Amino acid sequence: MSKETLDIQTNSGRGYWRSLDDLAQSSEFQARLEREFPSEAAELRDPVTRRSFLKLMGASMALSTLAGCQFAIKQPQEVIVPYVRQPEQVIPGRSLYYATSMTVQGFGIGLLAESHEGRPTKVEGNPDHGASLGGSDAWIQASILTMYDPDRSQQVLNAGKPSTWADAAAALAAAAKSAGNGIRILSEPNASPSLGAAIAALTSTYAGTKWVQYDPISGDNAVDGATQALGAATNVVYAFN
Amino acid sequence: MAQVFNRRTNTIVRLGIFVGVPVILALLTATWWYYTRSDWVRDVGVAHAKVQPAGNIPGAGGYSHQLHVGGLKLDCRYCHTGVEISSNANIPPTETCMGCHAQILPKSTKLEYIRNSYEKDEPVQWNKVNDLPKFVYFNHSIHVAKGVGCSTCHGNIASMAVVYKTEALYMSWCLNCHRAPEKFLRPQSEIFNTAWTPPADQIAQGLKLKKDLNIRTSSQLTNCSICHR
Ligand code: HEC
Ligand code: HEC
Ligand code: HEC
Ligand code: HEC
Ligand code: HEC
Repeated sequence: MSKETLDIQTNSGRGYWRSLDDLAQSSEFQARLEREFPSEAAELRDPVTRRSFLKLMGASMALSTLAGCQFAIKQPQEVIVPYVRQPEQVIPGRSLYYATSMTVQGFGIGLLAESHEGRPTKVEGNPDHGASLGGSDAWIQASILTMYDPDRSQQVLNAGKPSTWADAAAALAAAAKSAGNGIRILSEPNASPSLGAAIAALTSTYAGTKWVQYDPISGDNAVDGATQALGAATNVVYAFN
Repeated sequence: MAQVFNRRTNTIVRLGIFVGVPVILALLTATWWYYTRSDWVRDVGVAHAKVQPAGNIPGAGGYSHQLHVGGLKLDCRYCHTGVEISSNANIPPTETCMGCHAQILPKSTKLEYIRNSYEKDEPVQWNKVNDLPKFVYFNHSIHVAKGVGCSTCHGNIASMAVVYKTEALYMSWCLNCHRAPEKFLRPQSEIFNTAWTPPADQIAQGLKLKKDLNIRTSSQLTNCSICHR
């Protein structure tokens, strides 16, 4: 990973930026800014003024219309780049569907992800999965965007700074030693067996470790009510017919 | 009042109107036709202009259908694995070439680029010959399944040392067939025969195939959203 990417990932907070370089606050970018726009350097670096906003919008509109044109009379020469070793299931031009799942309010919902030559493009419910029966909702539909989100976590972070697994393990061991009552892990509700197993392993290594699950919008009260009414922890499913 | 123009100008003006204007119109029409309708501007039949594979790979002898299909009688589907099942015909991966060329001519300099690609895991880049604009949707599998053979659109590939276009791929060409497919349909056994010629009673046979294969009507097949979706 390049230095820029690292810097971008660790840049937290609500700063506004106009390019990846800008975001990375690289010294070359600062130098270029001052060299090319001496009179406007301050304005460009500043929160967007109305004047520069209109200017940027105008310029980008003009450029995007130009980019849509082809000045060449002939189509530009394109290339076909086949695989070196074609993966067995891949048929170029046809989509592949992978069964996957997504955590919604603590429970996994079975989904099918459509993929084109290795790139996921669409998520739908898995008809064979009891929790979705082929259906989905707005969050599931939108979840495909997280795949391409530049903010998607790609490495170990410590208080927003890039770190390594070795450092994380060392920090955990140190924390377990210094904390009186053991470590606390805070997460969203999650019923994943593999995450559960990982945390169970951690708990058995560091005695006193507790896993706290918290959801700001949870269905716990409804489940408590159902327990009182029906005698067992129950999810109520209404039949409107 | 003295005449401003002498008599000779009449002839010049007449010449201008009756010769000059038509000549200019003809030139404009010819230019328009050349750039929007002709085969030349689309490089139909031009094989030498393209370097295959793309880029100047030293020692590259490219790939010859004449040798592999015409000579060795390989089936199109051995390499173009997608034609019957996908929109793309698929250009074979390096692996397919190496399946033979690991043993056959393993020292040939013309095959160095294939060996390099295989060893370094870097794909070969082929210049695209038939290239539709991205706003057009084309699908190989339906044409192959409904009796349109490769050679109707790609010509006699088995005789080509370097692939070239045999059709300019204008929209009118697609529509010409979608309006009357019976002129081109052939039996399923002949789809991959690159030297197929229509029989004398093509229209009668084509109409029968059209019925057997449940091919839709001309008005359904010229619906814009079939190709522009
Ligand atoms: C041994 C593998 C092999 C076989 C068999 C084969 N091809 Fe190809 N074909 C290729 C390769 C590699 C290319 C890309 C290089 C090129 O354009 O010459 C190609 C390119 C093409 C193209 C041009 C694609 C473009 O860029 O528009 C057409 C059309 C084509 N083949 C048709 C056929 C037909 C029809 C057959 C059967 C009669 C056939 N091929 C058999 C390997 C093969
Ligand atoms: C079915 C086996 C087979 C496959 C698959 C195959 N070839 Fe070949 N190839 C041959 C044979 C046989 C020859 C001719 C040998 C001769 O001339 O004696 C040949 C010759 C060639 C030559 C000429 C080499 C020379 O030195 O003259 C080139 C280049 C070539 N093939 C490229 C390719 C490429 C590229 C592919 C993959 C798209 C491919 N071949 C796939 C069997 C194959
Ligand atoms: C109805 C006309 C038609 C028929 C029939 C047809 N092709 Fe094509 N082929 C095309 C067009 C059009 C393209 C260009 C597609 C593009 O640019 O999206 C193409 C592209 C290709 C390519 C380039 C790679 C790709 O997938 O774009 C290959 C290889 C190919 N055809 C092979 C074949 C073979 C083999 C057959 C016979 C089984 C065949 N074609 C039958 C029209 C046809
Ligand atoms: C030689 C005849 C022929 C040519 C040329 C031809 N087609 Fe077709 N096309 C057919 C036939 C036959 C069908 C099958 C129609 C059916 O099943 O009802 C078809 C079907 C299609 C379909 C699928 C329609 C659907 O609803 O699924 C598309 C897309 C298509 N053609 C696009 C094209 C394009 C784009 C071109 C030009 C680059 C083209 N075709 C050239 C004969 C042709
Ligand atoms: C059988 C497939 C097919 C159908 C049906 C079809 N088109 Fe096209 N269209 C094409 C192809 C292929 C091209 C690309 C032509 C080229 O490369 O010059 C194209 C190009 C165009 C263009 C771009 C202008 C040009 O000539 O490059 C327009 C506009 C267009 N089509 C409109 C339509 C409209 C409107 C309809 C419905 C009446 C329609 N098309 C139906 C295949 C089709």
